[in-house]
Amino acid sequence: MDITAELRKIVGERLSVSPSELYCYSSDASQVKGMPDYVVRSKSTDEVSRIVRLAYENEIPVTARGAGTGLAGGAVPVGGGIVLDMSGMNRILEIDIDNIQVVVEPGIIQDTLNDALKPYGFFFPPNPGSSAMCTIGGMIAYNASGMRCVKYGTTRNYVRDLEVVLADGTVIHTGSKMLKSAAGYDLTQLIIGSEGTLGIVTKASLKIAPLPKIRKLVIASFKSAEVAGQAVVKTFSNGVIPSACEILDRVSLQVLKRCDPELALPSEGDVILFEVDGTENSAHEAAEQIIEVCSPLAISIKLAESEKEMADIWAARKLVGAAVSRLDPTKTRIYVGEDVGVPIKKIPELLRRAQEISEKFNLPAMKYGHIGDGNLHLALFIDVLNKDEWDRLNRAADMIHRTAIELGGTVSSEHGVGAARGQYMEAQWGPALEVMRAIKKALDPKGILNPGKLGL
Amino acid sequence: MKESRVSKAREKSETKGKELPFEIDPRSVYKCVQCGTCRSVCPVFDVVGWESANTRGRMLIIKSLLEGRPPSEDVLSSLSTCTTCGICAAKCPAGANPPDVVEAARAQLVKCGVTTEAQEKLKAAITTSGNSFGETRSRLHWLSDKERSKLPEKSDYVYFVGCFDSYRYPEFAKKTFEVLQRFGVTLLPDEQCCASPLLRTGFREDAEKIMEHNLEQIRKVGAHTVITGCAGCYTTLKNNYPEELRVISLPEFLAEHLEELNLKRLDLTVTYHDPCHLGRHNKVYDPPRKVIQAICTLKEMKNIKENSRCCGGGGGVRIGYPDISLKLAKKRIEDVPEGVDYIVTSCPLCVRNLRDAAGDVEVIDIIELVAMALE
Repeated sequence: MDITAELRKIVGERLSVSPSELYCYSSDASQVKGMPDYVVRSKSTDEVSRIVRLAYENEIPVTARGAGTGLAGGAVPVGGGIVLDMSGMNRILEIDIDNIQVVVEPGIIQDTLNDALKPYGFFFPPNPGSSAMCTIGGMIAYNASGMRCVKYGTTRNYVRDLEVVLADGTVIHTGSKMLKSAAGYDLTQLIIGSEGTLGIVTKASLKIAPLPKIRKLVIASFKSAEVAGQAVVKTFSNGVIPSACEILDRVSLQVLKRCDPELALPSEGDVILFEVDGTENSAHEAAEQIIEVCSPLAISIKLAESEKEMADIWAARKLVGAAVSRLDPTKTRIYVGEDVGVPIKKIPELLRRAQEISEKFNLPAMKYGHIGDGNLHLALFIDVLNKDEWDRLNRAADMIHRTAIELGGTVSSEHGVGAARGQYMEAQWGPALEVMRAIKKALDPKGILNPGKLGL
Repeated sequence: MKESRVSKAREKSETKGKELPFEIDPRSVYKCVQCGTCRSVCPVFDVVGWESANTRGRMLIIKSLLEGRPPSEDVLSSLSTCTTCGICAAKCPAGANPPDVVEAARAQLVKCGVTTEAQEKLKAAITTSGNSFGETRSRLHWLSDKERSKLPEKSDYVYFVGCFDSYRYPEFAKKTFEVLQRFGVTLLPDEQCCASPLLRTGFREDAEKIMEHNLEQIRKVGAHTVITGCAGCYTTLKNNYPEELRVISLPEFLAEHLEELNLKRLDLTVTYHDPCHLGRHNKVYDPPRKVIQAICTLKEMKNIKENSRCCGGGGGVRIGYPDISLKLAKKRIEDVPEGVDYIVTSCPLCVRNLRDAAGDVEVIDIIELVAMALE
């Protein structure tokens, strides 16, 4: 069968087999590579269904893709086949304030959705660092979260219903606008985080939350990352739940301060940013409590003085990942081993061991991330033209993944497994991985949906 | 999208192209961490939709060429559709400078004989006629013989008119020169294209020759300062010509001389479009605003200064891909606030593209606003 001709019948000009175009869809923000044979930009559920059915009948792999901002190769077609670019399905179909929900197509950008919700006084809380460019479909497929999940939870906590195209092209709904349901398996939760291996999301009903009236930011600096971790554990055990709780270790701090010397961050130590939100009174009370609890451990601690100061700090925090190249053009941040997580109590140990790994392999590293939920973004940077540094980098990443598992944690807290971390699934899950494989086989018997992912 | 066609020149040198190494500073390319920040702001991607039409796609394609993929016509619809507006560079967390990388890649493609027909036409026009339109008329046709004969042969200041103001908007040239003459500014006897279109589209060797010609003219006049009203000429004269040249944009000159100009207040409300090559590339944000506010009320567009959206007129996109260019202009017009009498800008390329997008509000050059305030 002439697949190109068949695909063209479905999507017309929105099909490409040009080598340059295929190359642009052969990677995401990770180091995983895989060339597709076809790229299709779908515009409707019906098109997706027909494309997947065609692929099913001809046993061609189908990999769904949003904005390609993933850090695990989830959208990379490692087995070739069709890449289904969903980013053109980007409409907000309904803002249903009475039901505190919004119905969207998967290609909508997270920030665009929140811009649309702002006039209503609501927001969709999960906010990855890539919120300006990542799609909601990608967030659902990888159960993305971000710095505010410490209080608000992850994408998983906000999905009410999904329209999903299954491997044979069948279209199902996994839920409804109901707040709860006790009828049958929770297929919504099964699809969330399944990385496009069980079905392709074509529509989503999402719960939204009222925007807090005020946010305040406590900036505390500590003599070591380990002590900073202890301060976080202490804060939580004192009953304070910040709306964000981020660590910026001293290397991250140096990078940010050199990029913008005016930034209102301390010049020494390892820093924790505690954000609290709510009403003026509740936020004030929480901020005071954090200051009281952390002061005995901190070198310095203060409240951000203005909204601008806060906004500047958060903007800088969003940029920190790749900012090292701004200072040293011979260094590039490579996203490997960048998303481990451990139970909160183990954070100080993880920070210590991450530092040891960085020193063992003689690789400079920044440690930052959502420490409030045990998620550390270890940023290793290398000279990409140096083969030996690549080798050391991969060994360091392997060690950090194994360390997280040993500490009872996870190889990925919010970026996903994709093709980058599949080899750790056995170690992390043991026999539970077989259950996942059985589910995959039941829903995708021909293995066409995003093959080569999740260690399945 | 209009399909790019490969020039005859390429056909002739196809094998030659494959033999040439694709020389480009690898570090400038590997700075890109493929995070996709640029994808969210690239104005061309916004209207085209394919990954190859955004900055990350372009950087990936350049990476593939660097790693040995033979250059072919297949890359043109990606690399030739960049307007070099630079919003990607402004937003890049890793500090990459994609417009520079794209221009360097275009230069390599030219060396390999991989060009579009539009690119070749543009080059032919400039190299044969000295202007981007292939006009054979005198560049100073907008001056009378008498006015021409009275031009000072020597001056510290010279007005670089540019191809656009010379041939498409001579009324801008006339109004600009009327103001500048008061300050003893003269014109070059034989100005030619500043070379911006050649540099932006990869014809570096041809650009060198024409730049040398203009430099020679400037030396003859003895000018230490060049003033120009075109953002494209401005960034080229400032950043591609030797550093010895002092270059001032018209808005900067006007802002510096506001008191002497004695402008009257007008009962108007206008908005201002930042030309990419004046604003983002050279950070000239405040002088045009200062001039406007000295004359009337300024009501800003939705995206301004560093976040300003490209009009679609630059980087060779208008000539090669007019449909994309027009879509960009229409998107930019959507940023215009309610209740303004004019959209003011300070670049003739922007004027033309925004006028083509045909909003309800008239688009004028800053010199026209100044001329109104001088009447």
